Amino acid sequence: MKREELSFERPTELFASQPPEMRGQSRDEVRLMVTWPEGNNSHHVFTDLPTLLKQGDLLVVNESATLPASLPATSQLGNIRLNLSTRFSDNLWIAEPRWSVSRPGPLPLEEGETLQIGDATAKLLKSYPGIPRLWLTQFSIPATSLMAKYGEPIHYSYAPVYPMEAYQTLFSIFPGSAEMPSAARPITSRVHNTLVAQGIGITGLTLHTGVSSLEIEDEIVEHQALYPETFHVPAATANAVNATRARGGRVVAVGTTVVRALETAWNGSMVRACAGSTSLYVHPGTGVHVVDGLLTGLHDPVTSHLAMLSTLMSIDHVRKAYAEAVEHRYLWHEFGDSHLIWKQQVESN
Amino acid sequence: MITSRTEEELYDAAASLRAMGAKVKAITGDINDPNHRTRLLQETNLMGGVSLLVNNASDLGETPRPELARASLDRFRQTLETNLVSPLALIQQALPQLQQSHGLVINITSDAGEAGYERWGIYGSSKAGLDLVSKTLAAELKPLGISVVAVDPGDMRTQMHQEAFPDEDISDRPLPEVTLPFWAWLIHQDPRTVSGIRYEAQGALWEIPA
Repeated sequence: MKREELSFERPTELFASQPPEMRGQSRDEVRLMVTWPEGNNSHHVFTDLPTLLKQGDLLVVNESATLPASLPATSQLGNIRLNLSTRFSDNLWIAEPRWSVSRPGPLPLEEGETLQIGDATAKLLKSYPGIPRLWLTQFSIPATSLMAKYGEPIHYSYAPVYPMEAYQTLFSIFPGSAEMPSAARPITSRVHNTLVAQGIGITGLTLHTGVSSLEIEDEIVEHQALYPETFHVPAATANAVNATRARGGRVVAVGTTVVRALETAWNGSMVRACAGSTSLYVHPGTGVHVVDGLLTGLHDPVTSHLAMLSTLMSIDHVRKAYAEAVEHRYLWHEFGDSHLIWKQQVESN
Repeated sequence: MITSRTEEELYDAAASLRAMGAKVKAITGDINDPNHRTRLLQETNLMGGVSLLVNNASDLGETPRPELARASLDRFRQTLETNLVSPLALIQQALPQLQQSHGLVINITSDAGEAGYERWGIYGSSKAGLDLVSKTLAAELKPLGISVVAVDPGDMRTQMHQEAFPDEDISDRPLPEVTLPFWAWLIHQDPRTVSGIRYEAQGALWEIPA
């Protein structure tokens, strides 16, 4: 797939700069677009979700909680920002030095250079192979204590920073994500209760997200390097997914992170209990095997997320849905609106 | 402690490690030489003992790579000595130090050890043997608190890879640094958790028991 196939226009005023609860709405009052297997779209409110699912369907959510992963740092270039992405140990992380919240890198930093964060240091060991804006970074003290003292949630130019609770979902249990796994954000207790009352299953896995990907740089979408994320698919979750599939229920991933974890745990015929670190890139060449639907937000152009979406529906239908989202003034990003995609029988390409 | 037969490359590697702030001792020698192995471990003992042993030294065997039916058996024995016997010999000699440190052994393996590619039978069988040595040692050394993993680094732009494909342009293969994130990840896992696992450094999944 060529990178321009994942390109589309959407006006910047459609970036959600505020969580719905600060726009005078409930979290579950965001809008919900549904893309059906035939490629047509319908438009709803998120509270309609239970009516769009059937008894015996299974929602799989990400139980990772968001960290205050954005740290102020000082380098020879002056004051910069260091966003933590992926933990290898207490003191060793993949991290993204940025000029500021709004201005990404890569910065002209040298291998071995040391950043100052309060009394502690962060040494840039090596830039990440194939992803020069990320660095393997060694901290002089555990990064969790730096986050506790100086950290704030990672945020970008389109939205100011909000209290930590704004970046957690109903299912945030295990801290570890650099950025909120936001697909479950609109699932409130009342939506949850309605789902359960209707016999729709909800089960969890963990995938700690890294910093969000920038645009794919390689001309060929499938060649883009992706970095690993820590995940855990528990045995009970694998069993629930396999049982749902066996009796003809539909498995709906709540978020692209859940697709990545489930596809990693797919052994060719079923999902197995599985943990570790996954760099799996789900794109049209790999396809998806486990999920029948994906509940997600609206993603940026030319990203690996869109490559994943185009495994569920043809790229023409992705573009059609996104054009409709723009036309109906849906809001993008973590505080924005939702999109439920039912898998089409796509020709493998 | 790093060792290899070729002095220039060894000293270059030592210099770049020192530039990163590491304390490094570099001793040239052949890992098939028992006296060299003994010397290495005497030195590491003085340095505080081995906690991580990486068996990377490998012999590709005859080039151009022969079919098994026509392969030199003497050369085959030599390849097995370097790739299979000597790594085990070094592990055996290092056991007291590894036991003390509850250390980790990493044996470098290859997909040639699993695949049955034509004309890869010599090198491949040595690596298949090493995989079984790794797995068996992981079970046997568990009571001593010593862990063992096998790591297939994947295709990389190295001298050995060029020798394996003498007429090919291998510039499309990634440089060895592509495996750095994997090493950074692996050495921060609890060795006892990963012991017995065979990893692919360039693979999409670095698994730990769920």
